Amino acid sequence: MDFITENLLTILILLPAFGAISVLGHQMFWKKDEQAKWVTLFWVILNFVLSLLLLGSHAVSASGFSFEKNIPWIKAINTNYHVGVDGLSIWLVILTTFIMPIAVLSTWHAVEKRHTAFYVFLLLLESAMLGVFTSLDLLVFYLFFEASLVPMFFLIGIWGGENRIYAAVKFFIFTALGSLLMLVAIIALYYLQASATGVGSFDYVVLLNSMQAGKLVLAGGTGALLFLAFALAFSIKVPLFPFHTWLPDAHTEAPTAGSVILAAVLLKMGTYGIMRFCFTLFPEASHEWAWLFIILAIIGIIYGALVAMVQPDIKRLVAYSSVAHMGFVVLGMFSFTEYGMQGALYQMLNHGVSTGALFLLVGFIYERRHTRAITEYGGLASVMPVYTAIFIFTTMSSIGLPFLNGFVGEFLTMVGMWQSTAVSHPWVATMFAGTGVIFAAVYLLWMVQRVFFGKVTNPKNKKLSDLNWRELGLIAPLLFLMIFMGVYPSPFLNRSKESVVAIEERLNKRAGGTIEKVEAKTQTHESGH
Amino acid sequence: MNTILLQNLVTPNVSLQAVLPEMIVAFTGIIVMIYDSFMPKQRMVTGALSLIGLAASAFALFSMWGEAPASSWNGMIANDGLRMSFTLVFLFVSAMTILISTVWTERENVPIGEYHALLLFATFGMMFMAAGNDMVIIFLGLETLSIATYVMAGLRKSDLKSNESAMKYFILGSFASAFLLYGMALIYGATASTNITQIASMVGKANFPALLLIGGAMLIIGFGFKVATVPFHVWTPDVYEGAPTPVTGFMAAGPKASAFASFLRVFVIGFPLVSGAQASAFLHESWVTALTVMAILTMTVGNISAIVQNNVKRMLAYSSISHAGYAMVGFIGAGVAKTMQDRDEAIAAVAFYMLTYAVTNLGAFAIVTLIAQKNDRRTEFDDYNGIGFKSPVLAFSLSLFMLSLLGLPLTAGFMGKVLVFRPALEAGSTLLTVMVVIAVVNTAISAYYYLRLIVVMFFRERTTSWLEPKVSGALAAVLIITILGVFYFGIFSDNVIEKFSGKPSVQSAQIK
Repeated sequence: MDFITENLLTILILLPAFGAISVLGHQMFWKKDEQAKWVTLFWVILNFVLSLLLLGSHAVSASGFSFEKNIPWIKAINTNYHVGVDGLSIWLVILTTFIMPIAVLSTWHAVEKRHTAFYVFLLLLESAMLGVFTSLDLLVFYLFFEASLVPMFFLIGIWGGENRIYAAVKFFIFTALGSLLMLVAIIALYYLQASATGVGSFDYVVLLNSMQAGKLVLAGGTGALLFLAFALAFSIKVPLFPFHTWLPDAHTEAPTAGSVILAAVLLKMGTYGIMRFCFTLFPEASHEWAWLFIILAIIGIIYGALVAMVQPDIKRLVAYSSVAHMGFVVLGMFSFTEYGMQGALYQMLNHGVSTGALFLLVGFIYERRHTRAITEYGGLASVMPVYTAIFIFTTMSSIGLPFLNGFVGEFLTMVGMWQSTAVSHPWVATMFAGTGVIFAAVYLLWMVQRVFFGKVTNPKNKKLSDLNWRELGLIAPLLFLMIFMGVYPSPFLNRSKESVVAIEERLNKRAGGTIEKVEAKTQTHESGH
Repeated sequence: MNTILLQNLVTPNVSLQAVLPEMIVAFTGIIVMIYDSFMPKQRMVTGALSLIGLAASAFALFSMWGEAPASSWNGMIANDGLRMSFTLVFLFVSAMTILISTVWTERENVPIGEYHALLLFATFGMMFMAAGNDMVIIFLGLETLSIATYVMAGLRKSDLKSNESAMKYFILGSFASAFLLYGMALIYGATASTNITQIASMVGKANFPALLLIGGAMLIIGFGFKVATVPFHVWTPDVYEGAPTPVTGFMAAGPKASAFASFLRVFVIGFPLVSGAQASAFLHESWVTALTVMAILTMTVGNISAIVQNNVKRMLAYSSISHAGYAMVGFIGAGVAKTMQDRDEAIAAVAFYMLTYAVTNLGAFAIVTLIAQKNDRRTEFDDYNGIGFKSPVLAFSLSLFMLSLLGLPLTAGFMGKVLVFRPALEAGSTLLTVMVVIAVVNTAISAYYYLRLIVVMFFRERTTSWLEPKVSGALAAVLIITILGVFYFGIFSDNVIEKFSGKPSVQSAQIK
């Protein structure tokens, strides 16, 4: 047991990869392609159970991380395998391990060909995602960040819809371009650290300490460039307007499990990266450029909602709603207040749960009818009452109805933004964000109305079967979380509070003289806006 | 009187031990040639002999690795990190090429003994290019290599494309050699020496700085041709496409690396920045700027041209051009390094890059050779349609090599890129930083055509019949070695980098 808790994060990262090998071995020796899902399910559930151990108490290091492990990897360039979790990443890790069994179960009958390969990629993806949320060495972080592309590329490309090749290649190149620029920034940071202290480092904690001790000082221009390189990589991943164009394609073409993982976890890598690395490593630059990100986030919220409204395809509609929701998350983060950032973090989890559930539900109906066009449906309420009820419930959670999870996150985000001093007129931003909530209600409810209410117009829909036990079992934990996170958010928020406050302090302590100047600058930007 | 004469007389510093690895390869080549003339067409025997020779040479090389950096043969042969690490790359490339060629020599009627002998002579030439600390030695090595490869490119005598390839390579190659030689002559005129160490000490006080500049420019043209940098790259696609596939793999990995080795030695070590000497500062700045522009062009043109190719060999040819561009980033980093140690590390980074490229590229070419079938018929992208799940092992291996060429983490290509970008960023100059940014943008562009092969193999369905090629023992060995190599250099690169940069260059050892 000690061994497990000592190396918990490493086990969590490597277990799925090991599972992938076992799935391959299973296929090689038994040649039962179809059974791969059982082997996979075993590993992902085991990983989820193990990840719950993170919630237990464990010594917290001086840098604020627990379950830390720091082993030298490539000495020539002083890079270490350094992992650890804090309040910021712990929920994202658990979200990942939690979503995986659901994703696997969602594909129980949906995968029609090459099962083994499908599950191998799924498991490799889990390893990469967990690596991203736990690594504290920038080079190792980059490694996992980039490695997560490959399995997803194959998942979309082999098991995707008609336009899958275009979507897969676009997804890969967009995200790769952003992250490669981040790699340059990471190496540059290494040398800045080397010239400041004599020893270069990729270690996040080392870099942070060196900055806090005033040794590593990023002069205005350099800091801004590095910040932008990091932020670009993450903005593409989030995706922030105008880098969002890969998302609707990838989401629409991906198989259900792919969409669920993409929405629930992959997008969070972007927002997580901004909060973890951009804010703490480049606080001045974050302040300086906050106005840009706030404006882009607001555009994303409104643009995403408007475009979602006119989508004829349900899955594409949900994909655009993701753009809007992630805009909310970015907005909350860049408020630089505790409430705003807590709200953003909470909203990240909410989005994972609600949008993940929406993609699942779309997947269910797609398996029955093999179409996602809204016009093909209508009046499903009378044919599939349980499905309808669950769908509407999930929609409410996505819209942010009080007592459901979405409300807590959006409320905190807006409160945070209202108090924010990051820009001169935060209430304007808050107001625009508020309209986004209304728009969200419009496009989702309108879609619900067209799909579920009225008379059954399409004869093909008359004999659709309602949800079966497997599907109900899949969606039930998500529904439970929507209510639980809506009425009792404190366990989540309490666990993350310390880390978020630390980031917030780091952002604002540095303030002093520099921030005043920056504010004056942003005012001019805002007034011009 | 007598004593003065004796003092002026330079005692030849003959140390056969200093060139033992080279000698072993040369003798093996001669033995293979003689054996073949008495008992022709015994590919197993000549192949095995060659492999044994290469292994023995590698053994000799490793035993020399621990020795202190020095030069022998009156300063003509260097025994330093640059030579050691690059020579290791050459030996590896040759051994892999012999194994890959088994497939091809079996199904086509190739004079096999001669092929093995030529390959060994080419290797010998490459080794001298890396070992030569004197421009004359470098030129000798280069010519030995070139003549052998001209013949190898045209080995498929009945094939028009192969003939065209050999002819083009020969004519343009000779032209480039002439430039190189003329450049060397001019440098000699300015510094009164062909020895790199002496040139380095003379650049600051050269009599005719203009001669240095013109000579340097000539050398850039000559080496630029051999390395295939834009704008001296035009021969590459035709020659690579026409040459037999294993030879193409060899040319992209071996001779390119050897040209880099002497290019590095002549410019980084021979034309350093001597403080307080205006002529050397001007020369240094000129070549760094010229090479930076060339690196940027090479990466960009190579990548953009690769995108539109429909032939896999041609695509790999253009990809090899762009990789020369990435390697040059490290080269320039070595050129602007502030300390001797940084410079040696940057040189080691370029050598490591060539090693990772060789491992990946040879793996890819092994599979391309296998799929190409007789007469290199199947080398179009369409021939790879939908083979992903029909020959999963081959297809996934090829995908791995593509991802490594692309530079994805955990593969050799990633570590190679990180290491060559590092020294250029360390310099902190705007121009070099811009170059690195362009390099990564190019990497993203290159994703398109590397992924295309994966897309074709896995995301499309096959419409025509597919005969799974038989993987012979030799080829299986190549695949296992290269796949393990890709992961080893990607994950456990620490040992290799340490080994490569552990031995400084002769010059920095002297300063210490």
